[in-house]
Amino acid sequence: MKADARRLSVHVPMIVLSLLAVFPVWWMVVTSLKPENEIFSTRLWPASPSLENYAYVLDAIPMIRILWNTFAMAAATATAQVLTGLCAAYALTRWRFRGASVAQGLIALSWLVPFQLTMIPNYVLATQLGLLNTIAGLVIPNAAAAFAVLVLTNAMRSFPKDLIDAARMDGAGHFRVLCEVVVPNLRAPLASLGVLVFISAWNEYFWPLLLTRRIEDTVVQIGLQMFMTQEGNQWGALMAAATLASLPILLLYLVLHRQIIESFMRSGIR
Amino acid sequence: MVQTFDITNAMPGRATARRVVLQPWVYLAPTLATLVVWIYWPLIEALYLSFFQWNMLPTATPRYVGLDNYANLLTLPEMRRAAWNTVLYILGLLPLSVVLPTAVAMLTQDLSAPFRNLYRSLIFIPMIIAPIVAAVLWRWLLNDDHGLVNAVLETVGLSPVGFLKDPSIALWTLVWITGWKLIGFATLLLSAANGSIDPGYVEAARMDGATRWQVIRDIRLPLLSPTILLLTMMTILFGAQWSFVYINALTGGGPLQSTTNVFYLMWDYGFQSYSAGWSATAGILTFAGFGVIAVLCLWLMRRFAVHEG
Amino acid sequence: MLRRLCMTRSLSAALAATMLAAPAARAEMAATITEPVTITFYSYNLASAGLGKETTEGLIADFMAANPLITVEPVAAPSNEILSRVQADIVAGQQPDVAQLVFRDLIYAAKDLGAQPFEDLAGDELAVHAEGMVPNGLALGRVDGKTYGLAYTFSTPVMFINADLFRAAGLDPDQPPRTWAEVKAAGIAIHEKTGKHGFFPGAFGPIDGTFVYQSLVMSNGGKVREGNKLTYAEPAAAGAVTMLRDLRDSGAYADIDVAAHMDTFASGDLGMFLFTSAIQSRMQKAAEGNFELRVAAMPSFGDKPTAPTNSGSALFVLSQDPVKQRAAWELTKFLTSKYAYTQITSKIGYLPLRLDIVDDPQYLKDWVEANPMILPNLEQLTRLTPNVAFPGPNYRQVESMMKDAAAEAVLGSGDPVAVLKAAQERGQALMPADG
Repeated sequence: MKADARRLSVHVPMIVLSLLAVFPVWWMVVTSLKPENEIFSTRLWPASPSLENYAYVLDAIPMIRILWNTFAMAAATATAQVLTGLCAAYALTRWRFRGASVAQGLIALSWLVPFQLTMIPNYVLATQLGLLNTIAGLVIPNAAAAFAVLVLTNAMRSFPKDLIDAARMDGAGHFRVLCEVVVPNLRAPLASLGVLVFISAWNEYFWPLLLTRRIEDTVVQIGLQMFMTQEGNQWGALMAAATLASLPILLLYLVLHRQIIESFMRSGIR
Repeated sequence: MVQTFDITNAMPGRATARRVVLQPWVYLAPTLATLVVWIYWPLIEALYLSFFQWNMLPTATPRYVGLDNYANLLTLPEMRRAAWNTVLYILGLLPLSVVLPTAVAMLTQDLSAPFRNLYRSLIFIPMIIAPIVAAVLWRWLLNDDHGLVNAVLETVGLSPVGFLKDPSIALWTLVWITGWKLIGFATLLLSAANGSIDPGYVEAARMDGATRWQVIRDIRLPLLSPTILLLTMMTILFGAQWSFVYINALTGGGPLQSTTNVFYLMWDYGFQSYSAGWSATAGILTFAGFGVIAVLCLWLMRRFAVHEG
Repeated sequence: MLRRLCMTRSLSAALAATMLAAPAARAEMAATITEPVTITFYSYNLASAGLGKETTEGLIADFMAANPLITVEPVAAPSNEILSRVQADIVAGQQPDVAQLVFRDLIYAAKDLGAQPFEDLAGDELAVHAEGMVPNGLALGRVDGKTYGLAYTFSTPVMFINADLFRAAGLDPDQPPRTWAEVKAAGIAIHEKTGKHGFFPGAFGPIDGTFVYQSLVMSNGGKVREGNKLTYAEPAAAGAVTMLRDLRDSGAYADIDVAAHMDTFASGDLGMFLFTSAIQSRMQKAAEGNFELRVAAMPSFGDKPTAPTNSGSALFVLSQDPVKQRAAWELTKFLTSKYAYTQITSKIGYLPLRLDIVDDPQYLKDWVEANPMILPNLEQLTRLTPNVAFPGPNYRQVESMMKDAAAEAVLGSGDPVAVLKAAQERGQALMPADG
């Protein structure tokens, strides 16, 4: 009896929390299936579910193209941040050198610079470099980030130094040590960092809004914006577009959730 | 023997020393170059611009105004309200980003693996939803007249709540939406830290007859303190920034300025104003303010964190 | 490095400029186009999915077909972002050519962004093109006597009415309220008899409604500014606000989320909604099968005539190059032609700047007959009163303070006039000094 009560006291709050987390997402999908005149009803399932909102979205904006742009941008950003972070973290943990703390401070402090401050000057520079309307322009300014460096520095701090020293004794160069010793042993933090960066790049809004001028070159968050205007939101279409925008990462997550959670748990991101 | 050792070791040693000076910088170069070009240079420019009144247009003349931009921003009557609201946002977020996740991590630790993983996977989902989507979803759910939440409240006999329209509630609604996306992530961090606690400590305490609560209070919480402090610090430093997206998308600071915070006020009067002076000043003030808080937090963390072993 | 050089150079160059008072010599617009030229067109209609985007894209395609030497490169940005995009591009050295900007930015566009006055640009061609345009409409884009913006997609506030709620409250939807006193009575009746919301003006909140607020102020004989002096706390202007406050205190004014007023009306929970006629087609769609939608002219203060103010946008020519200026002028002419307005009015739902097409069977006649809901709006065009934009480098902040104060005066608990007075005083400090 007591054990049952105890188990209940764990499951009930967890079920409530899980519902709170999942229900809005469910409601998004339900709303996206409602036809125009049913949109304001609070039925848990549409009386006559239809895919008209999806058809409208796919017709109104080049969604597939946009999703592909977003994928390319997010993947490139994640790769870049993991690579630059790896190198920087290796430098900060492998050597003691003059200026190390300055470098570390500069990196950490950059996290606090508000993005609104850098947006316009960066736009001017990106334009001069011919990065307007390109995926490279979306990626390059985000190719390195304080968060990535800090996470990987932490992970490497707890990395056994003996392994590196042993490899160095065998005459391996630093780059080889990094590739062949450090990386294989840091798979968990690298993977979870990659996933986190991918998600946040996928959800990026303000910088692509400024940098892309044509709907064909834009990313999915800006595509969503097309259904929200000062003259009202097109709720059904917006929910359908939001579902389409979230679907790829939701699916990725559904398939990989075990691994993602696992690598999180082992990554020591803290 | 000793001498040969010295020589053979000293020679490459000096070479290494020279290489050590250069090599770390080679590895740091990509990161530092990116940060300097795309973050620090704009920051320095902004510092310079903050003393001028200028819209950056080539046709206009920058006018040196000294500290006028700073005075204008800091004396906005809305500033006091915004500063207080910023504190409220942070205080409101802490239970969602620290207390609740800690409780969840403790609650789920004894669950069987499948359940534990299921719950953790589910509460992580909001984390992958885009902020814009989250804002739109919650506005949709919380509307007074056609939102589902109020419809449910009414069927159980409660009066509807003006989640986004009542000035005394709107801020807490935004806190909830911001926190909604954070719970899963914070829970994972804390569960990971909790899972890595050496079971030996817990065993030993149990042998000494410690209750479940005593184990949590005397062993787990102290050992989790670095993670807890880190999450607290992140909430303090970035809480206002995280809520910004929702203020911008949902309330525009209203109703009656009740949801504005320092960050949004800066955006409204600074970045949205097309005046480079105001926006540079707003950015510098935000950066400096949170920079000071960050240094303070780090100092506190060094002082109070308990480390394992 | 590149940027560093650029910024410092432009900064010091600008600092050193002493001849700023003298207007820069402008090159004459080219008479014809003899070689292929590409111009950019910044439009917020392109940034929202649906009819606005499709119609605008169609117009651009039609223009390019008619002018094979001109290529138009469309640039899409949401209406609240479009000015910062234009400004950022000028700073970045990507000179925009034609831009669709909202009226609040009129003076800034004229004085700072370097918009070309059409009188200087096109000379006599302007008069020829303006023939048949509503004079009030043409006046919308004027600053100091010159036309910097040519009114493009614009509308006026109209009263949307939910006829079903009227009937349920015992009111006659065929007799919509014509004065604010009648609105108050109707609002109270709807609220008390149906439990739904009475009246709401889309004047405050994150969705820009300054034109609704200004319409009210000017309908009561007030002004938000005169010259460089702010006057929105003066008796006539403040009177409009205290009227709204009275509606609110009486219960006629809907107590709803200001950021979702369109949704509340679309869901059938609001009896009367004063907002831009641009949302008419969307409201019609939402009402279909849910409730009967009517449209009435905006109510008046007693017998004072109303002063409907425009929302929406004007076209600005920003090109500096003579050939591009010609191409930009040709595009502007095309987008404000009889043909374009037929498309814009019938497909997107904005008002036609040319009233002669309304009775012309070649253009809008059939459509107007099939869509009588536009009539109250067309009738208001004769009293169209320009939206007042603010001058000076801090114009956005000044406007922002005014909006916040007006919202506080209506929705807050303090004395409305005192709230307006305090804001007006602070705002005055940010206005340019009289010169």
